[in-house]
Amino acid sequence: MIHRRSRRATVLQYVALLGFIAFLSFPLLWMLSTSFKGPRELVALIPSLIPVAPTLENYGTAFSEQDLVQSARNSLQLSLGNAILTVLVALPAAYGLARYATILRRLTMGWILVSQIFPLILIIIPLFLILKTLHLLDSLSGLLIVYLVWSLPFTLWMLQTYVKAIPLELEEAASIDGAGRLRILRSIILPLLAPGIVVAALFAFISGWNEFFFALVVLQSPEHATLPLTLARFIGAEGVVRLGPLAAASLVATLPSLVFFAIIQRHLRSGLLAGGVKG
Amino acid sequence: MNKQIRASIATLAVAILTAACGSANPAASPAASVAATPATPVTLQFASFAWQKATVDAHNKIVSDWNAAHPNITVKIVTVDVNSVHDKLLTTFQGGTAADIVHDESADIGGFSGQGFLADLTPLIPAELKSDIPQGIWDTVTFGGKITGVPTILQTYSVFVNKKMLGDANITLPTAASPWTWDKFAEVSKQLTTGDRFGVGWGLKSPAATVMSMSLNFNGLFFYNEGGKNVVKFGPAEQQVLKRIYSLAYTDKSLSPTTLGQSGPEILPGFFAGKYAMIVGGNYVAQQMVEQAPAGFDWAMLPLLKGDTQAQSANPQTLSISTQSKNPKEAMQFIAYYMQANNLASVAIGDWLIPVSTSAGKAVTTITGGKNSWDVNVASAPSLKIAPFQTLDAYAQWKTQIAQPGFQQYLANKIDLATLGTQLIDGWTKVGGK
Repeated sequence: MIHRRSRRATVLQYVALLGFIAFLSFPLLWMLSTSFKGPRELVALIPSLIPVAPTLENYGTAFSEQDLVQSARNSLQLSLGNAILTVLVALPAAYGLARYATILRRLTMGWILVSQIFPLILIIIPLFLILKTLHLLDSLSGLLIVYLVWSLPFTLWMLQTYVKAIPLELEEAASIDGAGRLRILRSIILPLLAPGIVVAALFAFISGWNEFFFALVVLQSPEHATLPLTLARFIGAEGVVRLGPLAAASLVATLPSLVFFAIIQRHLRSGLLAGGVKG
Repeated sequence: MNKQIRASIATLAVAILTAACGSANPAASPAASVAATPATPVTLQFASFAWQKATVDAHNKIVSDWNAAHPNITVKIVTVDVNSVHDKLLTTFQGGTAADIVHDESADIGGFSGQGFLADLTPLIPAELKSDIPQGIWDTVTFGGKITGVPTILQTYSVFVNKKMLGDANITLPTAASPWTWDKFAEVSKQLTTGDRFGVGWGLKSPAATVMSMSLNFNGLFFYNEGGKNVVKFGPAEQQVLKRIYSLAYTDKSLSPTTLGQSGPEILPGFFAGKYAMIVGGNYVAQQMVEQAPAGFDWAMLPLLKGDTQAQSANPQTLSISTQSKNPKEAMQFIAYYMQANNLASVAIGDWLIPVSTSAGKAVTTITGGKNSWDVNVASAPSLKIAPFQTLDAYAQWKTQIAQPGFQQYLANKIDLATLGTQLIDGWTKVGGK
């Protein structure tokens, strides 16, 4: 009786899971389908998931009309740079905040919370003027600094939570055994922080990869355009959207993120769960 | 005409027209002028929101031909996202990084002109260019007595028809000499409405621009100058177009109610599937007709509807020179080159819009042979004129915050005309209009 109930429950669980996967993956499937449809099929009154007359025309248009490869390269540089720099800056700060209970910790936490409230639109003009003064307008390095500053508060918050989850007794035990501060950080803290670092890096990567507004304001030259800016060029005036090439370009833009996720997903899972249990 | 043929015509047009422009004959192109070579090399930035492939190609060809013919004056295109032109330009003006040549539209440059961001082009415009464009169009780019933009191409709101459906119903198409009146349009729409088909579909998700422009058919100006102050009035002239659309939807029931909440491009699938026999939209919709209509779909764009007149508001795209530019004379030389008949014609064909100059209009008709309703398109130009609201600083805000939601509510049958009128009039005060 119990065995039969388990099997039924298992089947129901799988059905629910399949439904959930279908719900989550449907937009991606629809984008894939749209990317292979010609302009006439895209205005069909009754759309179909499977293209009636599939064509690669949209991919050709997407690559020939817009410099997707250059834009992808720019986005990759910015995202990877943001991920690496954010982690490098946030990691020592997170350790200091987590381990040293000073007034600075409270002030910093307060600053992080307040900075998350500010909408982009409030700071964009002063930010633009600062970048202009520093001659960093229309440059990837200027935009990278903006991304770093924008990602830092949340990454700092996240990392200091992971540091707090590492028992202080481990460091004390290592210290008793004769390990210095640097040795403790390198041999004990860093390996245990690996999942948290991966999560923080992923957050910074995605923030940089998907970001549109700062790039729109800071960048001007076509050769500096990032992928979101290039994708926006498929949306014309008065609601005219070139769905086919946009779907093709969007799919291409999604691939690096998918690859990145596939590589780090094991660490991502353990990293997301690591900070969840106290003691 | 399928997409390949259309693309071929556009490419051929670009190649033929702009290849001649490196050594253009001034006599054949009224806007031509020989550019003086500056002593030191000059680089001009040209911020453009062109997004249609054919228009981008035309721009690239114009710029590359110019650069080849003028090695000391190099033009570099800076692409601006078409849906954030105002914000992008404002940022660059405020930040002191504005391009030399700025591509915008007349309804938007009024504010920039008032803030001193755009140069007075009046003394720089060549006489032959000035005379090639009707004065009514120059009025749309004149602010405070100064011309701050050179108009280029224009849009109209037109009726597109399924010729087969009209032919089956024995309805004769209008001609330029005998256009349809609004009454005739309503009558035809009712006649074409059957059990499974509406007479007309009209994408009125954002109705403000359409209503304000087409109201000029009945001299509905909305804005009047009284004692030096601009006030909003909502009298019988202003109410005409709104009442007629309302009547189509709720009295005659010949306007598809679904389309009232859709944007222009969203109504096309229904049109191609025969859900409605006619649609109303911007003349640029012709490009989507060519690219997306099913094989054998026989369509036509009609001459502009007529109320008291066929007038609609002229809101041309413009080329301006930023006051931050260090080389305004060289910038105007490039603009004059851009405005040569053949160059402007290639841009107009790319965007499926009407060129403002007489010479470019003739060039477009010659190249296209009048096919795909280009003859009707170009013939609409004389009906376009400036509307009072185009020169008002607070108009953009009033249109977005007051008129747009007000018109939407009225056309959704949620408020009546009296309530709408009160909203429009009080709203002008709210946005600080004067």
